[in-house]
Amino acid sequence: MSAELVALMLADARLPTGSHTQSAGLEAAVRDGLADDGRRLADVARYARDRLRTVVRVEAGAAVVARHLVLTGRDPLEVVVHWAARTPSPALREIAGRTGRGYLRLAERVWPAVLRHLPRDTETPRPVVLGVIGAVCGLDAAQVARLTAYDDAQSVVAASLKLLPVDPAAATGWLVDLHPDIEACATAVAGLTEPGDVPACGAPVVELLAERHAVERMRLFHG
Amino acid sequence: MAETAAPPATRALRLGVAGPVGTGKSSLIATLCRALADELELGVVTNDIYTDEDARFLRSEGVLDPDRIRAVETGACPHTAIRDDVTPNLIAVETLEADVAAGGAPLDVVLVESGGDNLTATFSPALVDAQLFVLDVAGGGDVARKGGPGIARADLLVVNKTDLAPYVGVDVERMVADAEAARDGRPVLALSRTAPDAVARLAEWVRTQLGAHRAGTHTPVDPGPMAPHSHADGTDHGHGHGHGHGHGHDEAHEHPHAH
Repeated sequence: MSAELVALMLADARLPTGSHTQSAGLEAAVRDGLADDGRRLADVARYARDRLRTVVRVEAGAAVVARHLVLTGRDPLEVVVHWAARTPSPALREIAGRTGRGYLRLAERVWPAVLRHLPRDTETPRPVVLGVIGAVCGLDAAQVARLTAYDDAQSVVAASLKLLPVDPAAATGWLVDLHPDIEACATAVAGLTEPGDVPACGAPVVELLAERHAVERMRLFHG
Repeated sequence: MAETAAPPATRALRLGVAGPVGTGKSSLIATLCRALADELELGVVTNDIYTDEDARFLRSEGVLDPDRIRAVETGACPHTAIRDDVTPNLIAVETLEADVAAGGAPLDVVLVESGGDNLTATFSPALVDAQLFVLDVAGGGDVARKGGPGIARADLLVVNKTDLAPYVGVDVERMVADAEAARDGRPVLALSRTAPDAVARLAEWVRTQLGAHRAGTHTPVDPGPMAPHSHADGTDHGHGHGHGHGHGHDEAHEHPHAH
């Protein structure tokens, strides 16, 4: 199995895991005034960058640690309580569980070794599922961290095309400009091994907006 | 295992309702619930553009326990949600089935309503066992002639709102004949929610699908992508025109339409 090919597959929005329903919180942020109804589009890239410095480090850190736990014969679910303690918004945890379940259902069909470490078809947080897939498919820690960080930034950028008057090529330019931030996020967490080491760097505004979004009636995106 | 290709015969029949926006999908589902709620355990999963508009409509109609109506977000991709990546819908359907079964009376039928998209959107066979495609006379008498995978090969084509025909200048019989010609004998049903006979035929079609599903004789048919479509032996399958129900699955065995 080529770890690089698996990483490419996991980064591909065409992978059937339900990722088209996710905006990485952008829909709620736009409703709250981010990008000023399209008059300040640079906000989108700044929002993605701010996530890479906060909530995404929690996610990427949990994914890296889950991978390490599998490879050292421990239970990857050990990291869940540590991830949850650093993700105070129940709405964000629910989103992570729903998206994790999507990956887990796919893994059951295509990477069934994942089920040696996780219970099938459960709301297991997405970073934990990604870490376990990474472990059984041979991804290294930096690949798992980079994948988690890239996927979050790409979710923001792709959702902006649905929510704001954005030129798709310009949006891709934002993503390219975010590469240093993605790498910095990956580097910051790639060496983690213990559940207690997952960074505690949430973003209260992101969490507050996620809570509001969860009870919003007119939603395009789940999260 | 989540092997969708060989579902257990004991679970609910999953029935997709597709068709362009405004053709009456939600109203058709409400009508079906009214007609069948006394004899079957029903549930609904909606896929509206904005989360729960259709779900709210159905709840407000009071035809089902509100907890049996679930809404799925589609990320502005209603086409993807029923076709390329059915994960959120499948989770919603399975969760609904499990929740209702835990209450003691398992669901008989889950109706999955697509977000009103366009003429090319059809359900994946990984999500539904059978699907009906809804057009309406107000959308224009020529739509059935235009064809497309849903019009040509859904298990049932509904020509809805026939009561409006005199007001929009559409000849219903002609529109149904055009649809039948495009469908190579598969059933077409002219429907108005105010026409008891037509509603009864729709309910009977659902009962027939459910019977075939339970008997294990139903094979999901994939309407497939927009593609040129012809039969060398088309004239062999002209039977059943105008019945409006009952033989969709038999046709399926004769025309597997593998994609």
